[in-house]
Amino acid sequence: MAEVNMEQLLNCALCPNMCRCDCPVLQALAQEKVAPAAKARFAAMHMHDHLSLSEEIIEALANCLGCRGCTVLCPFPELNLCDELLNSRLKEHQLITLPSWEPYLANLKKYGSPYGQKPPHVHKTGKGAEVIYFAGCTTLANRPQSLAAVENIFQQAKVSYQLMDEDCCGYPAETWGNPDLAYKLATENYRKFKESGAKTLVTGCPECWLTFSSRYPEWNLELPLEIIPAPTFFLKLLEEHLLQPKVTNLSTVSYHDPCIWARTAGIMEEPRSILNRIPNLTVIEPLASKDHTHCCGGGRMFQLSFPKTAESIAVTRLQEFPAQSAIVTSCPFCLEGLTTKERKVIDLAELLAEACS
Amino acid sequence: MQNLPQTIIQESLVDQEIIDAYAQKAKLIVGEENISNNPADLIANSRDYWPVNNIWMIAGSVPALPQLVVWPETTEEVVELLKLANSFKIPVTPYGEGSGTLGGAIPIRGGLSFDLKRMNRILQIDDDNLITHVECGLNGALYETSLNQAGFTGGHFPQSLRCSSVGGWLACRAAGQFSTRYGKIEDITVSLEAVLPDGTILNGRSVPRTATGPRLDQLMLGSEGVLGIITKATLRIWPLPEKRQMVSYTFDNLEVALQCIRQIMRSGARPAVVRLYDPQETGNHFPALGDQRSALILLIEGAEKLVAAETELIRELARATDAVDSGSEHVEHWLEKRFDISVASMLFQKGAVLDTIEVTTNWHNAYRVYLAMQKALNAVEGTMLASGHYSHVYPDGAALYMTTVGFPGEDKLIFYKKIWQAAMEACLAEGAAISHHHGIGLHRGLWMAEEHGAGLNILRRVKKAFDPEGIMNPGKLGLEENSIWQK
Repeated sequence: MAEVNMEQLLNCALCPNMCRCDCPVLQALAQEKVAPAAKARFAAMHMHDHLSLSEEIIEALANCLGCRGCTVLCPFPELNLCDELLNSRLKEHQLITLPSWEPYLANLKKYGSPYGQKPPHVHKTGKGAEVIYFAGCTTLANRPQSLAAVENIFQQAKVSYQLMDEDCCGYPAETWGNPDLAYKLATENYRKFKESGAKTLVTGCPECWLTFSSRYPEWNLELPLEIIPAPTFFLKLLEEHLLQPKVTNLSTVSYHDPCIWARTAGIMEEPRSILNRIPNLTVIEPLASKDHTHCCGGGRMFQLSFPKTAESIAVTRLQEFPAQSAIVTSCPFCLEGLTTKERKVIDLAELLAEACS
Repeated sequence: MQNLPQTIIQESLVDQEIIDAYAQKAKLIVGEENISNNPADLIANSRDYWPVNNIWMIAGSVPALPQLVVWPETTEEVVELLKLANSFKIPVTPYGEGSGTLGGAIPIRGGLSFDLKRMNRILQIDDDNLITHVECGLNGALYETSLNQAGFTGGHFPQSLRCSSVGGWLACRAAGQFSTRYGKIEDITVSLEAVLPDGTILNGRSVPRTATGPRLDQLMLGSEGVLGIITKATLRIWPLPEKRQMVSYTFDNLEVALQCIRQIMRSGARPAVVRLYDPQETGNHFPALGDQRSALILLIEGAEKLVAAETELIRELARATDAVDSGSEHVEHWLEKRFDISVASMLFQKGAVLDTIEVTTNWHNAYRVYLAMQKALNAVEGTMLASGHYSHVYPDGAALYMTTVGFPGEDKLIFYKKIWQAAMEACLAEGAAISHHHGIGLHRGLWMAEEHGAGLNILRRVKKAFDPEGIMNPGKLGLEENSIWQK
């Protein structure tokens, strides 16, 4: 269990919050209780045993997308409020959840996915291959064509890869207040990764990447593989001329930076570089891009935890894209959140696979 | 552990049956989802950025709790909600972004916190007339960003830009860092709309000026929620400046530097930013300049030819003194750091009490007021720093912004009251006005009688006329003699 950094948490709690306008949840709900400093104050008072974790306070603390938008102009370089809020909720390492989240926890327990029974197409292939691809439960449940596109890319580039019977990476269980379940799921994945014999783990889900990279080591589950975000891996294949993208039927696109890829992993140039290698494709930046990106509303499982808020944030984000652009992104939550009847949102892997077909 | 924390200055609460009856009717106006007695909402809306709130927060307490939070979205909803509150005689405390530094948003008599954040739209950007119509719950930075995207600036940049609302600026008569060119909020405001407790909508005409009797809407500027709720405003805007020029100087003597600024203002030049730091603040903000001289930074912007002429004029006037040209990099540094107040959180955690006290006076005693306030603050046992800078300059004077840091060996609250008492006494003794732009709130109300003299009773009569039941933001602006908060 990660410790709460009280000095940093208090820096936020004592601040008037110059980051208010960068918090998508505050802008969507317009309620003071979800302002970053208000949440920091709840957490600080709870950590000092001055405030009990009632359902109302849990809900306020959980109203954080984990998007780190509040860090963009934060004057405290070591402060990561999103993590401190989560860690403060879990400080007693016990089940602290809300009734509305219990069905998802039940699914995680039973199926290893918050969405319930995993689709049957997930199978082990290429046993012993060097690369293992981890799609993540949101892609498996909502966007199977994205996994198909990744397989297509790997096959075109002649990458020796394998898939595995994935369990959820674990972070949704933490988000919903069950750290023990999170750990259990993580140990399952850890065992499977070790048994796979793979040397490289590629993942298309930023939340899974973050959990494997930072949470697993905190749980003493240091993975014996190199963990590579999918956009980075795709670019490497392009740079090695293992893929030859051709013209697609798209002319203008704007890339939506998923917040974890951009602000935590620093993956900003890679997707643009991929797009720029597709002939006759013009890339236009949206209003907030790269590490100043705005969250789609899907961080930390908001599409399940707080669906109305997630939708409202997505609507706001969509307004920041040029009307003539198709939106491209590289995160299953962003794809889910930003896709509307009116707006075309394309997975980077799907676009690349199409261009290379 | 508690579901609701202890309150420190809760003067009273409204009977729960009355609150419940109000809630039942209010739900029909704004919908169930826009009214709350959720403890998280009550705690969040219990405070603003008054430093005393942080002293209490660390001890696990809040100043005072509202009993309900309501979130109206339209003027019509504000009308109905306020009329209802008035009929039940329930206290109403307006709430914007909570950046006030003097406790103005604390609901000392419980009742309702009117959170205006849902009223956050820019209704129109009028290019022809260079004005904008805006709702008052809008965050300041989001307002400015939207204007920038359309090719304009609102010209108003308080240090709280990112954590304050348009309504908050109007309610406390705010001033921004670029105010010498663009004016203070009262100069930027063309007109405003406000709702009085009986539901009357007070609406000013959105024309450049009127001579049709006193402007009642202007009475709302600085009213801090005690007369009604400001709901919309028509504000002046400017095309984004074509050119920006930055210059800075250091002076051997703060008083000579003040004279230099006075000459600049007499010349007719109107740089957007004029800031003069005493040697201590020069050392703190611009370490490369050392802590022996006073730094003056200026930022001139607008049409290129005007900027060139103004810059040349300013340079000429500076050359006539012993000023040393320090280039533009210190102004750039200030621009980059101007919203960074992280030192306040860090010093607080080290046991310090820190506050800023801004006053204003004419040129003839601008330096004397600084000396007097600095001496008074330094005389309080525990004070480690009492420094100042001048900003928001005028042809007839300037604002003086004192910063004080102390490490009290005693109770932090007692020390806090002592430094304020010392500062306010010194300010008043020198004939300066007790606030330039932070306003009065709860705390500075303690010196409103000395500030206004007989005027305070006139203000009380105005309050009575607007708010006969006395429901609006009780205890603020120093209008009540027997407040729970005393010196």
